[in-house]
Amino acid sequence: MIAVQGLTKVYGHRTALDAVSFEVPKGEIFGFVGPNGAGKTTTLRILASLLEPTAGRAFVDGADVMRQPDLVHDRLGYMPDFFGVYDQLTATEYLDFYAACYRIPRARRTKIAADLLELVGLADRRDQSVDTLSRGLKQRLCLARALVHDPAVLLLDEPASGLDPRARVEMREILKELQRMGKTIVISSHILPELTELCTMIGIIDQGRMRATGPVQDVIRELTSGRRLRIMVMGRRDEAVAILKALPSIRTVDMINGAIEAQYEGDDATAASILQALTGAGISVSGFSQLEGGLEDAFLKATSEDVG
Amino acid sequence: MNRVAVALWNPIVAKEYRSRMRTWRSPVAMTVYILLLGGLGWAIFSAMSASARNVFSGSPANYGQALFLSLVIFQMVLLAFITPALTAGAISSERERQTIDLLFVTKLPSFSILWGKLLASMSFVFLLLLLSVPIFSLVFLFGGIELDQVLAAFLVTAVAALTLGVIGIACSTAFRRTLPATVAAYGASFILLAGSLLYGLLFPTSIDPNATAAPAPPAVSYLSPLLPLITIGTSQPVTWYGIGSGFSSGGGGGMMCSGTPGGGQQCVPLYANGKGVASPIYRNPPQPTGATIPSGLFAGWQYWQATVTLQLLISLAALVLSVILIPPTRHLPWQRRTRAAAGGS
Repeated sequence: MIAVQGLTKVYGHRTALDAVSFEVPKGEIFGFVGPNGAGKTTTLRILASLLEPTAGRAFVDGADVMRQPDLVHDRLGYMPDFFGVYDQLTATEYLDFYAACYRIPRARRTKIAADLLELVGLADRRDQSVDTLSRGLKQRLCLARALVHDPAVLLLDEPASGLDPRARVEMREILKELQRMGKTIVISSHILPELTELCTMIGIIDQGRMRATGPVQDVIRELTSGRRLRIMVMGRRDEAVAILKALPSIRTVDMINGAIEAQYEGDDATAASILQALTGAGISVSGFSQLEGGLEDAFLKATSEDVG
Repeated sequence: MNRVAVALWNPIVAKEYRSRMRTWRSPVAMTVYILLLGGLGWAIFSAMSASARNVFSGSPANYGQALFLSLVIFQMVLLAFITPALTAGAISSERERQTIDLLFVTKLPSFSILWGKLLASMSFVFLLLLLSVPIFSLVFLFGGIELDQVLAAFLVTAVAALTLGVIGIACSTAFRRTLPATVAAYGASFILLAGSLLYGLLFPTSIDPNATAAPAPPAVSYLSPLLPLITIGTSQPVTWYGIGSGFSSGGGGGMMCSGTPGGGQQCVPLYANGKGVASPIYRNPPQPTGATIPSGLFAGWQYWQATVTLQLLISLAALVLSVILIPPTRHLPWQRRTRAAAGGS
């Protein structure tokens, strides 16, 4: 659905993007992660035909962003990281204006505006002036605006920035709903736990270079050495640690807050055999879980490597 | 709707109308405009009534002409202040609010964004012009001014305002921030209104005593709408401005000439030492009639026709410049070469 090939953008002597390539298949939520200034916004602006790349090509639903900007705009909804709203317009008029800019006939615009306000939970604010809405509500309205022409692809630049936790959860629910509707979504963010839960694919970018890209768990596995287990036992903790250390698949064992955290090399079957080894030795295991959230480790590892 | 209608009428116009008319600024601006113009009209009207009661001097037609002249020039100056303020922020404020990208990703072509902004701003200026019509009808109480003069004056004012508007839009497109755009737009208006007249003062047309046509101010000075407004109001050709005294080397000693108030020339033969003789020679070249330009680039045109043509040309140039500058990914010839070189390396 989205294909980026060797995208390079040079501003004077500064290389903002250096041969970035990735693909996002239809229906995926692609998390675009990187520190500030890594090139996330530059990539998204090129994808939205708002910026010209120095070299490389990019396609949205088969349309070339440089040669067919009209087709791209037709298929893509874009929500920038920072945006203003017009004064003196109500939420309904705001959406109606953008729907008109997409040449949607007047008869359909009223229904589209009402449906979208319902989708983003702003139905009761339809007649409120947009400049009086809170930041969270403006973000939601802007998301609704990006959807007025029912695009197949959504580009969201930091959609959760500046939102309180509740607004963030609500935004996440809306995005999940949009994924169920079959939209392909690209989100740039640096709030990592949120992306782990929401995204199906991820790309880590740093200093203009793509450090890793692919399905979330694959990227984490690729970048973090081994997986982690948290094990709780009833007494005989030292014995349990000794058993774990003796196993060939275990790499490190730590005690954290009374629980054992073990890093191991292998897959789910290896984890099952570790549990068997403990219970087989008569250890009472009260908790045994694989640790999620390795994205943070993966991100730190990917962005700390000096590729130069 | 056909393609032309789609390009000319677009949602930006409707949105701009709506948000402009919902603020308190618009009615206040209209009221202040009418009060200023009406105040001037009333002041001149009362001064004339007072002087007509005391001394019988001049005819009501002269009063009408003086009132009309004052009003059209004051209206032009007012619009020169208002129009840049309306248009200089049109594009740059969208950039500052970061709303312009949201427009660029829609199906609206860049030209429609420009056109919509221009149409919305100019509609307000034309509304102000329309509001001033009842004040101008005062002139007809005195007579001395015909309807076609009023129409010509309004045409010149409207075209000049349009030019200032398009220049404002071009400045707004060229500068990223509203403040420099506004300063540049006011600078351009000043040059257009006063700078062009200054040119005529600094570089007046030299008088050629052998010319068969009466002298006229240099063509650059027709850029200013003030010149045609004065000629429309007075129905007289311009003889008091932009025509200097000149030297001619014909006939051995040469002559020094200068314009006379009647539009003729007065030439004084010169001796070798440059001192003129006591008795000047009066020449009487063909007299300009009505408000027609007697000579130069626009010979035979009405003053207002020359001004309107020049202003429309400037508007067109400014509009083309804006269309080139506004798109987020613009393709200028040298940029295309750079990109091709970078892409190929």
